[in-house]
Amino acid sequence: MANAISRRNFLRGGLAAAAGVAASGVVLPQAVKAAGGQELCTVLDLSKCIGCEACVDSCRETWQDTVPDPVSPMPKPFPARVPTQDWSKRKDVSDRLTPYNFLYVEHLDFEHKGQAVELHVPRRCMHCVNPPCTNLCPFGAGRVEKNGIVNIDPDVCLGGAKCKQACPWHIPQRQSGVGVYLDIMPSYAGNGVMFKCHRCLPLVREGKQPQCVQVCPEQVQSIGLRPQMLSQAEAMARQKAAADGADPNKWRDYVYGLEENGGTNTLYVSPVPFSVVSAAIDQAHASAAPGGGKGKGAAGKQGGKRRKAGFAGRPPMRPVANSMESAENLTTALVLAPLAGLAAGFTRLFGKKPPSEQPPQEQPSSEQGGQS
Amino acid sequence: MSAMSYSPGGRVAHWFYGIAVGFALFSGFGQMPIFKRYYLADIPGLGWTANYYATSDIHYLAAALLLGMLAWRLALDTRTTGAAWSWGPRTWWGWTLLGLLMISGAAKVLRNAGVFLPPPLIMVLDFTHLGSAMAFMFTGLAALVKPKPKPNLRGLVS
Ligand code: HEM
Ligand code: SF4
Ligand code: SF4
Ligand code: SF4
Repeated sequence: MANAISRRNFLRGGLAAAAGVAASGVVLPQAVKAAGGQELCTVLDLSKCIGCEACVDSCRETWQDTVPDPVSPMPKPFPARVPTQDWSKRKDVSDRLTPYNFLYVEHLDFEHKGQAVELHVPRRCMHCVNPPCTNLCPFGAGRVEKNGIVNIDPDVCLGGAKCKQACPWHIPQRQSGVGVYLDIMPSYAGNGVMFKCHRCLPLVREGKQPQCVQVCPEQVQSIGLRPQMLSQAEAMARQKAAADGADPNKWRDYVYGLEENGGTNTLYVSPVPFSVVSAAIDQAHASAAPGGGKGKGAAGKQGGKRRKAGFAGRPPMRPVANSMESAENLTTALVLAPLAGLAAGFTRLFGKKPPSEQPPQEQPSSEQGGQS
Repeated sequence: MSAMSYSPGGRVAHWFYGIAVGFALFSGFGQMPIFKRYYLADIPGLGWTANYYATSDIHYLAAALLLGMLAWRLALDTRTTGAAWSWGPRTWWGWTLLGLLMISGAAKVLRNAGVFLPPPLIMVLDFTHLGSAMAFMFTGLAALVKPKPKPNLRGLVS
């Protein structure tokens, strides 16, 4: 596709490829150290996942306690229809994304080419290459690290949930009653803090692998520099396509994350095409009980109309266009506009007549005024 | 000012500037999650104001218009004399704010296009942009409500 390589991929691909020669296929921790700030990418081989949820458990054990408990009572938002979200009393929920649960496993049973297929799909933030959640954050709370890890600074986030709306998978989850908004105007602005997978940033900074990668008994995930992980995903997907009786050149159908949202630093490789996986997920969600088994998920009482309960906190796996595409295109307009302005000015376009050569009525009354 | 002065682009330029600044302010503040919370998006026909991608596109277009006009003004000033611009900041303070908005805005645009900028720098840029936008708005409103001692606003603000 035309957009297979986003600008950032492109800009950094060359550098990373150069560094990659030196790093030559080593995995973490060496790769991270050798990389010195190249983008990290994970590949998940879904054929290997047995759905044991060891990854989920270790993520929860490691990070759940870093998410604070809300103040009590929680500030009442104004206007009253603004929903608050409180997961603090339901930290046990692990079958969807919540502020206290950054990773869950989607368990699927479906039929493909007349065969019963069982597939388990670990889901968390995709770590998009050019992430809209972060780009559109007005306060700089969303961060992209040099190693490509997308994370939200809990000391800065006000919990307006703009990132969740901007994210095509609605990944970030809000916990109300925590964070810096409590110190400003808690009823009128802000609503908590958004939480999501940060790819174990504190561990990666020490040169360690993310927890979910480390603990998996089946080595479902591998992590490394993006260019190498792209080739690894392609090689794997070609095999899957062939095994599925498809043309190996159709390998892209067996990868999720190559082009989604402009490309993500998470690449899923599946034994069946992702159109099939996506349909199975949609169907599972349509018939599923809400995450956590009961109620509306988040304890929002006046949540207004919400998405169907089975979908909440459970991202789909449909094709996703690049959210930043329009902004990337308009950047051209922003570069051209001042150039056009300069050209017009230097050629005295729209500004030609010196006043002495003009009939007086030509410039009615416009001498001074206007806005600051 | 003097009898010799003229206003390049006349009223049209004046209105374009107003439109650019107005839309930049509106779409800029729309970047914060307030239009939905405070019912603006509930007004029939204004539902789109809660769509961040829509307001972002508008912000880009308004910024392009603004940058184009300022570049035109800069270039024309080097080629002609006696231009009395009927639009734009009238004080060094106003120009400073507009300059800060353009620099921080341009850097944010680069970031959005996928260029890596260190997170602490982005936070500085965001707060510079937001702070100068607010200051610019209040300065501009003050100037509109209480015009400078120049009496001739005839036909300009209407
Ligand atoms: C009168 C001039 C302007 C005003 C009042 C204004 C106001 C704002 C405000 C209030 C925000 C939201 C807070 C934030 O994200 O920091 C914002 C965001 C933004 N502004 Fe501006 N701005 C102006 C000019 C510009 C210019 C000239 C550019 C580009 C060269 C620009 C680019 C941006 C970008 C990229 C964002 C981030 C949101 C997005 O991606 O659309 N702005 N602006
Ligand atoms: S990714 Fe690994 S740890 Fe997680 S559920 Fe699958 S097999 Fe288990
Ligand atoms: S998946 Fe969503 S939350 Fe994660 S980086 Fe992409 S846009 Fe942001
Ligand atoms: S990378 Fe870390 S934070 Fe993200 S899901 Fe895995 S264990 Fe959780």
